[in-house]
Amino acid sequence: MISRHQRILFWVLVGCIIAMASFLFWERERARDRISSLADATPIDAPYTNTESITLDLANDADGSVAAATRPIALPDEATARARALLEHLVAEYALPGSPHPLQSGAAVDDVFLLPLPIVGHGIDASAKPNPGGSTATVPIASTDPTALQPQSPGGELAVINLRSSFVNGHPSGVEVESLTLLSIIGTLHANLPQIEQIRFLVDGQPRETLAGHADLLRTYPSRDTTVQSTVPDAP
Amino acid sequence: MLALATIPCLAQTTPPPAAPVPTLAAAPAIPFNRGIVLLDPAHGGLDSGSRISDSVLEKDVTLNLAFKLRSLLSARGFSVVMTRDSDAATQPGSTNPLTLDDRAGIADHARPVACLLLHATAAGTGVHLYSSELEATPGEPPANPWLTAQAAWVTQSQRLQKQLGMAFTRASIPLVMSRASVRPVDSLTCPALVVELAPDGSDSSSLNDSGYQQRVAEAIATALVFWKSQAAPPAHLTPDQLPAAPAAPAIGAKP
Repeated sequence: MISRHQRILFWVLVGCIIAMASFLFWERERARDRISSLADATPIDAPYTNTESITLDLANDADGSVAAATRPIALPDEATARARALLEHLVAEYALPGSPHPLQSGAAVDDVFLLPLPIVGHGIDASAKPNPGGSTATVPIASTDPTALQPQSPGGELAVINLRSSFVNGHPSGVEVESLTLLSIIGTLHANLPQIEQIRFLVDGQPRETLAGHADLLRTYPSRDTTVQSTVPDAP
Repeated sequence: MLALATIPCLAQTTPPPAAPVPTLAAAPAIPFNRGIVLLDPAHGGLDSGSRISDSVLEKDVTLNLAFKLRSLLSARGFSVVMTRDSDAATQPGSTNPLTLDDRAGIADHARPVACLLLHATAAGTGVHLYSSELEATPGEPPANPWLTAQAAWVTQSQRLQKQLGMAFTRASIPLVMSRASVRPVDSLTCPALVVELAPDGSDSSSLNDSGYQQRVAEAIATALVFWKSQAAPPAHLTPDQLPAAPAAPAIGAKP
């Protein structure tokens, strides 16, 4: 004869076993999702094989500098895919052992969008008649804001870089280290895609205030040669 | 459809008229307090900043450095305004967290001779000095935009950067000087620098070393004593002294 309290104890233990098994299963699923998000190798670009000599602007934490270096890299021809592949190679360079600007490995860039400047909005064309489907034609409307983004040369583009939160959340924190990452990205794009004049950053499709607590991610950065150090004027 | 948007720009092929050169001789200088220094120990409260090591947080390092600087500057005759003087970073008289704009507001109201935004990092060595990335303007416009208020002070900030750089070099502290976009420096109306303390050598625990912090604070305090007499505020621009806004170059026009 099994006493009542032993039966209760038995079923409590069975319940604990089921709860622990459920928890372990949930943890395993979470870990799998985390790893797969870091190593997403979904082929979204057409294969390419032509190797080119590419300039990467590489940062160095020791002296706060950015220096140009050339690497033989196979890149796609299409501009947005090229920009994305460039940035992935750049981050992969920083993930190598002994890197002077160490960053975690894994995919960093979700997408790169290239938008022609100036940025224009669209409004409903009041003079157009509605289509049979009920829709009305729209016309581009230039911005009346004098500070709106303007191209500096024909064909100038704005690059919107959509970073992955897994990269941003794992980025080292500090003014120097964050600024160098941005300068390195800006300089590498400037060296290889000269039509890019301005650069903005998003994280998982959303604006974010800073990269890792310091460097401003809300502003629009001009594309420029970041290997040239800015000089401090002499005192009068 | 997008091509249609460029038509007005294509028509604009004549060069824009040259911008009138503003005359600043009669422009009044902005009043500021040569005896006040603003210190902003970055982060605080729930925002701990970067994790230097398991036991050292950026917010603690910046506060300790600010306390040392305050003592040294007070001994040299400065009044020191701090955006926070405890772990919590809250607005005065409330429990609301202090935003970056609040910190800039405190600095701009004090009209100090120098604004130092103190940060700390485990990357690199020595001290990193950053001034704003904004392009310098000849003076402060009547309506100074909040996000680019520092533009009129960039030249002064860079001179202060050079002054501090010389002091660190004399104190044999490794130095990196550059420009960076770190909020809220672009909203400050004072000579403003981001001072980032990095380890003394390769040991990141040196950031918490009182002797190292004292050495850095003494270099800064010495430089600010010289700076006090050198600082020259920019002029207030009247509407007729404003340089014309740069016209966008026409698409298709040759440079």
